[in-house]
Formats: sequence, C-alpha cells, structure tokens
Amino acid sequence: MKYQPQGLIAEVTHRCPLHCVYCSNPLEMQRRSEEISTEDWNCIFRQAGEMGVLQLSLTGGEPLARTDVTELVRAGRSANLYVNLITSGVGLDAARLNALIDAGLDHIQLSFQDAEEGPANEFAGTRAYALKLRVAAMIRERRIAFTINIVVHRHNLARLEEMIAFAEQSGAQRLEIANVQYYGWAFRNREALLPTRQQLDRSIAIVEAARERLKGRLRIDFVHPDYYPKYPKPCMNGWGHQQMLIDPSGRVLPCHAAPMMPGLEFFHAPAHSLRWIWEDSPAFNRFRDESWMPEPCRSCERRTRDFGGCRCQAFLLTGDAAATDPVCSFAPAHTVIEETLVRINTKDEVPTGRSWVYRIDPH
Amino acid sequence: MSEGVKDRAPRLAPGCRLGIGEGQEDLLLIPEGALRLKGPARAIVELCDGERTLCEILEELTRRYPSDDATRIETEVIALLGRLRDRGALEFV
Repeated sequence: MKYQPQGLIAEVTHRCPLHCVYCSNPLEMQRRSEEISTEDWNCIFRQAGEMGVLQLSLTGGEPLARTDVTELVRAGRSANLYVNLITSGVGLDAARLNALIDAGLDHIQLSFQDAEEGPANEFAGTRAYALKLRVAAMIRERRIAFTINIVVHRHNLARLEEMIAFAEQSGAQRLEIANVQYYGWAFRNREALLPTRQQLDRSIAIVEAARERLKGRLRIDFVHPDYYPKYPKPCMNGWGHQQMLIDPSGRVLPCHAAPMMPGLEFFHAPAHSLRWIWEDSPAFNRFRDESWMPEPCRSCERRTRDFGGCRCQAFLLTGDAAATDPVCSFAPAHTVIEETLVRINTKDEVPTGRSWVYRIDPH
Repeated sequence: MSEGVKDRAPRLAPGCRLGIGEGQEDLLLIPEGALRLKGPARAIVELCDGERTLCEILEELTRRYPSDDATRIETEVIALLGRLRDRGALEFV
C-alpha cells in the first residue's frame, strides 16, 4: 500500500454532556438513531487491524454516552489495535473505569476546559469541573497511561501556568495544550476565541520553560493556534496519508471536517470495505498526491512537508477546497488571515463580551 | 543515567507495550504513537520486566552475546534505555 494507514479515529457518537463553545464537531450532528452498532464497529476494527492500522482513538462527542464502550475497547484490542479513549470524564465511575481497563484500554485522555472552576464550567456550558477532578483522581490510582488535554483560547490563556501546575500534580504523564482549531462551532465563534499575538508569545515562553523544568516527569505537547504560523499545518499529515476518521453513522472520512466540502462522496463502513474506501474511493484520492495543487504549492519546496495545508480551512476561508491554505504566507488569499489577525490584535476592536454560540446536543 | 540506576529494575511505563502480530514485531506502542525498535532493541526491552535490575539485564546480555565486548553492550543498552525513559516509555522501579 503506498499510503499505509496508521490511525483510526472512531467518533462513536456525537452526543455529549458538554456544549463547548470551541467544539470542532460539524454543525450538522448525527442523531442517536443514526449510530452504527457494536457489531458494525467490531467489523470495522477487524478490517483496520488487517490493514495494519496501529492506533484506535475512541472519541465523539462523548464516547461514554454509548453504553457499549467497554465492548468497543475489547473489540479494538482483539483486532490488535492500541486503544485510546478521548473523554470528558462525564459518565465514568470506578466500576466502569475498572471494566474499561480490564477490557484492555491502553490510554485515557481526559479533557479540562480550564484550571479554574468558574470559567471551566462556562466554556463547557455545563457544571462538569468538580466531577472531572474526581475522575482524574480515579485514573491516577490505576496503572494506565494518562494524558490531560486542555483546549486554550483567548479567554483562558491567562491561566496557562495554573493549568500546567494542575497537570503536574494530577498524576498524568502527558499534557496536551491545544489551541482551538477553527472548524465547526469553533469557526462560528472564532472571533471570540482567537488569542492575541501577545498571548501567543507569552504562552510559548511558558510552555518552553515548563518543558525544561518538568523533563522526565511530564511531557507537554503544544498545538499552535491556526492563523499565526508562517506556514500551514501538515493537516492530518496529508489527506488520506496516515489517518482516517469514522463518524457515528460509519461514514469514513479523511478528516472530520471533510463532509462540508461540496463534490466529495464519502462512503459508509462496514457496508463498503475499509480497504476499498481507503485505497480506491475518489474522495480519499482527491487531494492525496500533488496533482490537485495550484501555484504556489505546486513548485514550493515545502509541499512534501505541509501538503498545501488544510483542505477544509482552504474551503472555509476561500470557498475553494483546492486553494492553497490561506494560513500560508505565500497563499493568494493570505490577506483574509492578515485582516483577521489585525482585527484581533487591535485593542479597541477586540470583542470583549462572551457573545458566543454554545454547541447544541443531538438527540 | 546516574550510577545507582544499575541496581534498579526498568519496566515499560503504563500504556507502553511491545507490538504483537504481523507487522508490529519491531514496534513499541505508546499513547497515540509507536516507536521503532531496531536490531536487538526488542530483545533488550523484553528483559525490562520490572523484576530484573539493569545490572542483571547486562549480565544476561553478556551471556547471550559472548563474542561482543561487554563494555560496548553496556554503553549501548544504557543509551537505549535512557532514550526510552526520556520519551516517557520506560521507568525504573
């Protein structure tokens, strides 16, 4: 296989007890009645294992909103996959955690919205913070890999040091500090979420100092905010190169924002075989090689490193999925990014109110 | 690594395990990733069971590879385990 899939992201449900203002789930979410069954997932995981996929990430929505997560973990391990659970912690008690670990769960990534209860609950649109602390304590008592994930943005970056201090004493081995990615609900709320350049510079300095201080105790991964870097991110490490994502209805995607793009047909597993979708379906091949690239990507020496950036971002910002990602400073449409950043960094025009839209929950 | 570490027993950190089955033979699976183990690295990691001390592991490897220079084995094993520890994949108990 020229493109060997490494990871399968299984969005097993869009249902979620949280309503985060930066949720990157699509605006059109799938309902419970559209979710595929345990047996369908089992079949998909087996096929993924046979294709040489290594990593399975059970996510959502909140994966624990499904009652069969323990069975999904077991199915993933039976298919010889490494199983990660990406969770808010809501719905996890000691008995369920033990069952998940017994079923072979390898790693838990637990989300926090802030290091302070008030804002954390405000961003999540629900009172989950206290419960999350109890879940973190439960995980720490058990021998399982533990990552804390905190999504950062304009309204919580001031507390970055407190977040790191919290992770340090939480028992986690790894802290992921991820700036909001501007898709879905987050795209709708991006003017309220984008950090200022001053905030970004400060946060990079804090993270670098903390990495040095915590070496060997806590790993810190930092996801930069879109729009600020000079070059775009190598989104998904290339369209259809290493990762696939399957939504609650079994629809197989190169990334979770892809369905909004016109003219691409995505197929469902297990009705269609995963191998056929990955290797031969037109949508997976649409941006896979370099033949789709416009200038300046086509002759750019960075094209093998960032693959022209993110297709979904190009579509969201220019209306053309085959345009150079406007984040790139060489992109014809880069002015869109520049203008947004000027607006965000001009003191008088920074939106100060919390006029954001909360994610709603599908039924 | 410090001197005293030879009397301690290395083991894989939580969530880190050796790949099993076709295509995973030379992989160490870690949270959301995998590390490739080259040459004898897998055999070395297999000895890191949290029971054997680093000293005992070195003795065992010297027995297994009698023609190799014991000092070189020690240097290479310590370098490998140091890298895995820095990556968060190995701990000393």
